[in-house]
Amino acid sequence: MGSVRVALMVTCVNDAMFPETGKAVVTLLRRLGVDVDFPAEQTCCGQPMINTGYLDEAISAVRAFAGAFEGYDAIVTPSGSCAGCVRHQHAIVARRAGDPRLTAALERTSPRTYELSEFLVDVLGVVDVGAYFPHRVTYHPTCHSLRMLGVGDRPTRLLSAVRGLSLVDLPAAEQCCGFGGTFAVKNADVSVAMASDKARHVRETGAEVLVAGDNSCLMNIGGLLSRQRAGVRIMHLAEVLAATEGASA
Amino acid sequence: MSGTFLGMPPFPEAAKAALADAQLRHNLAHATSTIRAKRAGVVAEVADWEDLRTRAATIKDEVLAHLDGYLNELEAALTAAGATVHRAADADEACRIVGDIAAAHQATEVVKVKSMATQEIGLNEALAARGIRAWETDLAELIVQLADDLPSHILVPAIHRNRAEVREIFRTHMAQAGRAAPEDLSDRPADLAAAARIHLREKFLRARVAVSGANFAVADTGTLVVVESEGNGRMCLTLPEVLISVVGIEKLVPTFAELDVFLRLLPRSSTGERMNPYTSMWTGVTPGDGPQEVHVVLLDNGRRRVLADPVGRQALRCIRCSACLNVCPVYERTGGHAYGSVYPGPIGAILNPLLKGVGTDPQIDSLPYASSLCGACSEVCPVKIDFPEVLVHLRSQVVDAHRGDRIPKPEALVFRAVGATFASGGRLASAERVNGFAGRLLARLGTARMPGGRHTTGSLPGPGAAWTGARDLPAPPPESFRQWWARAGASGASGPEDVAPQPHSPHTQTYAAPPPLSGDALLQRFVDRVRDYRATVDVCRSGDLAAYVREALGHAGRVVVPDELGLDLGERGVPDHALTATDLDEIDAVVTRAAVGIAETGTIVLDHGSGQGRRALSLVPDLHVCVVRADQVVPDVPDALSRLDPTRPMTWISGPSATSDIELERVEGVHGPRTLHVVLVVN
Repeated sequence: MGSVRVALMVTCVNDAMFPETGKAVVTLLRRLGVDVDFPAEQTCCGQPMINTGYLDEAISAVRAFAGAFEGYDAIVTPSGSCAGCVRHQHAIVARRAGDPRLTAALERTSPRTYELSEFLVDVLGVVDVGAYFPHRVTYHPTCHSLRMLGVGDRPTRLLSAVRGLSLVDLPAAEQCCGFGGTFAVKNADVSVAMASDKARHVRETGAEVLVAGDNSCLMNIGGLLSRQRAGVRIMHLAEVLAATEGASA
Repeated sequence: MSGTFLGMPPFPEAAKAALADAQLRHNLAHATSTIRAKRAGVVAEVADWEDLRTRAATIKDEVLAHLDGYLNELEAALTAAGATVHRAADADEACRIVGDIAAAHQATEVVKVKSMATQEIGLNEALAARGIRAWETDLAELIVQLADDLPSHILVPAIHRNRAEVREIFRTHMAQAGRAAPEDLSDRPADLAAAARIHLREKFLRARVAVSGANFAVADTGTLVVVESEGNGRMCLTLPEVLISVVGIEKLVPTFAELDVFLRLLPRSSTGERMNPYTSMWTGVTPGDGPQEVHVVLLDNGRRRVLADPVGRQALRCIRCSACLNVCPVYERTGGHAYGSVYPGPIGAILNPLLKGVGTDPQIDSLPYASSLCGACSEVCPVKIDFPEVLVHLRSQVVDAHRGDRIPKPEALVFRAVGATFASGGRLASAERVNGFAGRLLARLGTARMPGGRHTTGSLPGPGAAWTGARDLPAPPPESFRQWWARAGASGASGPEDVAPQPHSPHTQTYAAPPPLSGDALLQRFVDRVRDYRATVDVCRSGDLAAYVREALGHAGRVVVPDELGLDLGERGVPDHALTATDLDEIDAVVTRAAVGIAETGTIVLDHGSGQGRRALSLVPDLHVCVVRADQVVPDVPDALSRLDPTRPMTWISGPSATSDIELERVEGVHGPRTLHVVLVVN
């Protein structure tokens, strides 16, 4: 079998705010023998604009996406939400742009885009990624990974295989944390009320670390936990899976 | 109020007020989590649940694709069955039609079955303006009406009230509306429901005109269906001389057999029951049984506008179950009033803007944004409405409606700039250098640190304050990912590897339906499920039937018995010779046969044929003894529908009448018979 081309879609939030997550994906994939590339023309999947109703303003980002990832066999992203946007919303933007070539390009990229846990479990066929993380962890299944993608138990199977890690169930795990993109500022009061309940459930678990597959949701819950001086740290799934003995994050 | 409550502020402002109401938050959290758990339990029992949802969506889409044809079919069937069909383009026209019919009968009052359509058109207010009082008869609607309040939930409109508040409302306001509440009224839900029963009974017996909606309208037969719990619906649909039903044009189901899908989906999605206590079906006028003048008002009121929207159209599949409200994390915290309409929650967030159009009213325009797009609603929706898809679509309509504004909103300018930045990796890299500079600056200023060691931004000004008011925000990192990649990341590449990714298929679950029950197992399931509703069930041989019936009747003084039953009860037996509703109110019990028994849902169906009496007979007396033969018991709803004649009036009974309108505490016996006793005859 010839070599396949795998691209990292780091996402704009991770690129600008959580670079450690991107580095962790690179470390993890290389450890698993995947030669991962970072196409520098990538910017953002367009979701912030799309989900606020600014479809015209999303066209440039989606065009940049199509150009950056053309020709790759797999596009891996540490975000359920951005993967969901690529797979379910890019076609809407292409229709809006009225550009059949963009539509055709996105028909190639959309089905090749994988959220990290999907790529590990479904494509690489691994559950034990050789990680070591000696901490008490609880996992929040983010809405888009859960409902738009249907990642199911892939993330928790991956976490359960990490040596040293003790996984504690999060009460009311499947309820939204209240992030919702611009919802968090347009409806800040409701968003905070939702995040408060999520943070309370996290504290009830007694976990040291809250893990999820989307840093935007973690930024919301973590922002509240930090304000509450709860002493719970947030970490992206990729960072936990990248951690090894001697090089623990 | 015509659908939206006048003078409501946009959602974020209304939500802020609701969030500060601790009682409301408590009631909502309790109510929604209780219904969620009940729903999950009964949905898990149905092996082909996902199939049912798909079929429901398909049936509704078929109706919407050929709406005019189905409406004409319905109108023809209704007219042939003796009903008068009216078409109303908007709320005003619908209210005028209903008012004219009531006025033609010199009615000064009408009794009402809970109906979303009549709330949407503001019927009560329109009738009041013509001097006609409209009495709401559903317990929760009664509470809302007496308190001059607004409904806050589709299914449990008084969900925001606790028992103490309900007692105060009854004691203060019932007397002005009719029979007063008892002096010593307690705040026990059972006592409150009993007060409502007495208060409303005189209205049911007196009213000459009733107004209802309909859950479903069957196009090929003209059958209307009302699904309810308390028996107030049966009262309104059976006792008055004139019945007016206001039915949204999207309520159609093509054939009687297809009701099966919806009768299995709706109660489970709505109240978390296998079947609701009462389902009434009627097809125009039945001579000698029920209202002899039947009107159906087919209501548009914006629905054709929704139909014209290729993405929004799916909202017309809605069967008003309110499952989306109960799972919505936003609704759970704000309640229904914040949505400013009779349609709250996720369905309100899409339906109100779709019905009215966006771009003119800031309150309407705020609704598509009243969601975190978490998608929990779509997961439970029995007709598979893709709420996030419609919400995002409506948001784009709101934005587009303001593209021509002379002074653009600040948000529009921001997204224009962001869109331009995201046009190329190079532009984004430049922006990130500024970001990194800000991060290094914040670190030097020594802002607070988060667990894990990162600095925070501290309090942000302007719109950023909406975030940092209650949540910390990490300061930007000194180096972005792409800067790291350019500096060090790309060089660490290892060799090519050996995987062949395949474009993935959607993750689907498969369900295997269990074989249908038969024989003793079938009868046992029927008995268990009827008992689940706390109805009494006896099983006897035909020779012992008379003795069992006498035993079931206990000390009942006067018992009405249809002639064909051939049951001699001696002095206490009363034949049904043109008894009025008032006469029936003086009778203690009724004995009837049934047409079908449904094992899965514990339902008995009366089609009011031989030995079953007209509808009022099994409704007004307080004890109903129902005789079911073993060969009448079928496994599930589809089997029942195939045995029933849609042109007959029908009453589906699943246990005694019940309400959970006060703090979701179940109270048995509201308006229908408070005791149901089923005698199953086996040979």
